[in-house]
Amino acid sequence: MIACVAVVGHQNNPLYLQSFTGADDALKLHHIVHCSLDVIDERVNNPKRSVITLNESYLGLLYPTESYKVYGYLSNTKVKFLVVTTDLDVKDTDIRSFFRRFHAAYVDAVSNPFHVPGKKIISRIFAVRVSGIVKAFAPGTYG
Amino acid sequence: MILHTMIQILALLWHQIVAVFAEFRRDWAEALRFYEEAYRALREMIATSTRLPPVQRLVEIRAVAEQLFFKISTLLLHGGKVEEAIAWFNRHFNSYKHLVGLDEVSFLHWDWLSRQFLVFAELLETSSAAIPNTLSSHFGTPESSLTEWEIQPAYYYQLAANYLREKRYCLDNLLSTGDSEFSRTSGKVPESVMPSVFIGQSARLVEQGDMIEVLPLSDAEYVQYALSEAQRFQDSYEIIALFRKACESFTNLKAPRLASLCSNRMAKEYFFTEDFTDAKKLFDTVSSLYRQEGWVTLLWESLGYLQECSIRLDSAKDFIEYSLEMASLPIFANGDQEIPDSKREYGPAGLPSQSRREALQSEVLSLVRGEEIVSRTDRGCSIAVTKEQPVRIDVDIISPLRMVLLVSVAFHDQSVKPGSPVMITLSLVSQLPCSIEVDELEIEFNQPKCNFIIINAVEEISAARSNGDNQDVRIETAPSIVLPTNKWLRLTYDVKSDQSGKLECLSVTARIGKSFKICCQAESPASMEDLPFWKFEGMVQTFPTKDPVLSFSGQKVIQVEEPDPEVDLILNASSPALVGESFVVPLTVIPRGHEVYSGELKINLVDARGGGLLMSPRETDPFSSGNHHVELISISRMGGDDESRIHSDKIKKIQQSFGVVSVPDLRVGDKWSCKLEIKWHKPKSVMLYASLGYSPNSAEAARVNVHRSLQIEGKIPISITHTFMMPFRREPLLLSKVKSLPGADQNVYLPLNETSILIVTARNSSEVPLRVKSMMIQSNSNKNETPYSIQHVGGVSADDSLLVPGGEFKGVFSVRPKIDSPNLELGSVCLNWNRDLTLSDSEDSGVMTEQKLPAVIVEQSPLVVSLEFPPHAILGIPFLFYIKVSNQTNLLQEIKYSLGDTQSFVFCGPHDNAGFILPKMEYVMSYKLVPLCSGSQQLPQATITSLRYSAALNPSVTATTIFVYPSEPNFFVADNEKETILAKLNL
Repeated sequence: MIACVAVVGHQNNPLYLQSFTGADDALKLHHIVHCSLDVIDERVNNPKRSVITLNESYLGLLYPTESYKVYGYLSNTKVKFLVVTTDLDVKDTDIRSFFRRFHAAYVDAVSNPFHVPGKKIISRIFAVRVSGIVKAFAPGTYG
Repeated sequence: MILHTMIQILALLWHQIVAVFAEFRRDWAEALRFYEEAYRALREMIATSTRLPPVQRLVEIRAVAEQLFFKISTLLLHGGKVEEAIAWFNRHFNSYKHLVGLDEVSFLHWDWLSRQFLVFAELLETSSAAIPNTLSSHFGTPESSLTEWEIQPAYYYQLAANYLREKRYCLDNLLSTGDSEFSRTSGKVPESVMPSVFIGQSARLVEQGDMIEVLPLSDAEYVQYALSEAQRFQDSYEIIALFRKACESFTNLKAPRLASLCSNRMAKEYFFTEDFTDAKKLFDTVSSLYRQEGWVTLLWESLGYLQECSIRLDSAKDFIEYSLEMASLPIFANGDQEIPDSKREYGPAGLPSQSRREALQSEVLSLVRGEEIVSRTDRGCSIAVTKEQPVRIDVDIISPLRMVLLVSVAFHDQSVKPGSPVMITLSLVSQLPCSIEVDELEIEFNQPKCNFIIINAVEEISAARSNGDNQDVRIETAPSIVLPTNKWLRLTYDVKSDQSGKLECLSVTARIGKSFKICCQAESPASMEDLPFWKFEGMVQTFPTKDPVLSFSGQKVIQVEEPDPEVDLILNASSPALVGESFVVPLTVIPRGHEVYSGELKINLVDARGGGLLMSPRETDPFSSGNHHVELISISRMGGDDESRIHSDKIKKIQQSFGVVSVPDLRVGDKWSCKLEIKWHKPKSVMLYASLGYSPNSAEAARVNVHRSLQIEGKIPISITHTFMMPFRREPLLLSKVKSLPGADQNVYLPLNETSILIVTARNSSEVPLRVKSMMIQSNSNKNETPYSIQHVGGVSADDSLLVPGGEFKGVFSVRPKIDSPNLELGSVCLNWNRDLTLSDSEDSGVMTEQKLPAVIVEQSPLVVSLEFPPHAILGIPFLFYIKVSNQTNLLQEIKYSLGDTQSFVFCGPHDNAGFILPKMEYVMSYKLVPLCSGSQQLPQATITSLRYSAALNPSVTATTIFVYPSEPNFFVADNEKETILAKLNL
């Protein structure tokens, strides 16, 4: 199941962060997402070391904690997408397709003429859509 | 069942023994295989073994598993199989992580887990050399399930610390409740318990007489023993050490966020051990990263701890700062629900929420208005703000407290006259969740006289100023100074400054309550940065001032102009300057309204076309004289009297293009003048800047400056040209001139030992009349014997002859070279002149303009042709025309000559002929011509050709022109004068 999704901006500032577990571990998830940015920096700044990941936006598994795994995705505009899952065995293709849908939802949200680039995403429709994508990823969780 | 267990134990033992032997034989693969088998056998025993009481059984199994895993991972790591070792570790961890056991002894489980991580971290660290570099190239790809940090020991150190922390929580909970089942049942801690000879078992030694017996323990006894053992250890120090180790490694690995997570945990541990100074230091560094990247929730947690640390350290100022920052943070989470157990997760601050923000604000406001604040973790600790210990917070442009109070100051103008008022708008905004009322605003400028105070009208002025230390400060009142959330409070006032220069608003200090002040550095609206955190919020953009132009371009600085000077500075130059002369510019200082004290006059010469210095760029030494094209020579008092020259004790400094002189004190009605002597070396247009700085009265330091500038053209006064000519109707044959291509070179060829004529023309190219005093040719060589002789033979009279603009002056010189030289220097033309209208100095010695004559080529001419005929002829009257060719060589010369026909003359004599000339002899061809037309007529064209040199000589048109009178003219020329002229021509 997906514990948390996040969109992180250019200055590594959180643009959107939603947890799906319950409020008590929100802080922990914030910490996890924040620490995962180190791995993204490492992979993006050392292209020699990650030849394969450079060519695509999907960054792969970033950071396994004891009970979570973090996957990352980097858009062309250097906006970072992160997902924290509690499933320790997730198929790569599932995560990829999740990120594609997540990215599409983000693109639609920031295409809103009233949205100022670089600011937090406050669109309710985006939130609804993201939780829809999250539910679709793990239908058993909320069913 | 028992049999099955025994078989399992035997299998385990057997595998282990075989593995140890294999290791002994250095058969690593075999050893690994058997250790793995043993580990698997152990796994099977977890559920089935009943040999020991349950608690001790679990402890034993974990101990054996730890030892087997240690062996396996050591073998794998030393074999360079890092990935496998890590996979093994994960498997090991996953197998045992849920094997917590009873609640009472869960701390043993966490302790054991922490140890697993610690041991593996140390193993990784010691075998880091064996980790191949290629491993890191495929992180995050489907081929590798590993990520960057998993091969780093720091990752495991950090997790070891985390589990040790978990152990500490469990232990603390256990001890705090204090009514565990075991403590009730068993009572006291058993004595003389020691580790048994078997791994993971404990036993009690009982002395029975001389015999020492080893007895097994019951579970209750064991738990008591384990609890008492656990209490003896200071876990916090271990946790801090582990986190520090991880933090340092992550910092070295350039993973600042992971490092700050470790610092955060470390700080929490310090907080737990009540080491608030260290905790505060660490939390401060951590929060700076969160501030920088805008992670509100993480910052909130750290700030909550910092708040508590400040109370415990009895620092009201820090407490207020942290609380205000927290209250002004935009909350990230959208939920507002309080979770009962949020304290452990979020620390003392609790869950970030709007209501918490409001509560924090009101808490701080009540603190600054005199109430006490009690610590949340220790009720005995409190802080208060008192009159004796007032609190003042400074907010600069990088402070996070800009969110609490942001002050933008804009002057409505860019410059102002001294003494006249200018409008200033103060705009204040706060992001605190509730409106905040300010009692007093103090505005501070760099000119303290302009400072003023705005008082909330609700307050009594007398009460506000009761301290009375700033009696002379201007006081304004405002109906109310209330700052609503995110809404600009705009206040506009007049400011008047008498002092010229920069007037800048430095800060605005807001006073809330009797003893709390918050001092904000003033910011210009034009260069205001976005607020941290709030810049990511989707707020409506607001402007500090109502006037949008002022919001974009307003400045907190204004230029107070100088008072208008009331002194005249008159610079005058009647005409353009001439190159070479000392050009005098009179300068006059006349006080009109001001008196002049300690005046200083600065003179500066600048190239009018730009480029600054008046010297050629190629000259390396800028101070050597003569390099400057225009030079300031002197500044002297008007009147020409030597004694009135400015005394050296006054400031006087003259450089080539810059001069400073002091001006005496002058009253209104006085007048002071001086003259500037400037010399031009090159024709250049120059800006002359004169600036007079003075004090209008002797006491005041403020200075007034008067500036004047004057553009002066530097012109070349006289252009000198020259021409060489042969004597009239005399043409020497110059062989090299004949050979050279026409127009190829501009060389001048002169015949040796022949007199040539040099005509020097001086033309007045300026706009002023000049007087030529003398013209001469000066030889360059100092020797008495010059290789040529030059004599002044005529021209316009050189005695002070007036040269009007455009007029010419001609000097005629005869030149007679004495040596054959391809490069004969003839010296320079020296022209001494002065202006016709002299200024004050009538006894001017004049200006010498010198121009070098080009070198000439002197050579012996083999043949010289001279034409002879009368100066004029009369129509119809025949006259004689001689062409004389003189041979100057020692050779026999053959010549051909011809005379063409013209319509104006008939002549007798041969048309074409040839002849020989003996050495040093002369050949004469004579013709008799009868003019047929009157007027200036061209004689028949004569051509003389030298066969030896293949050179033809055609006399020039001027040389063969004769004037034909229609009839006999009457001349009234005295004979002797005629002779003189002829004699000079024939020289």
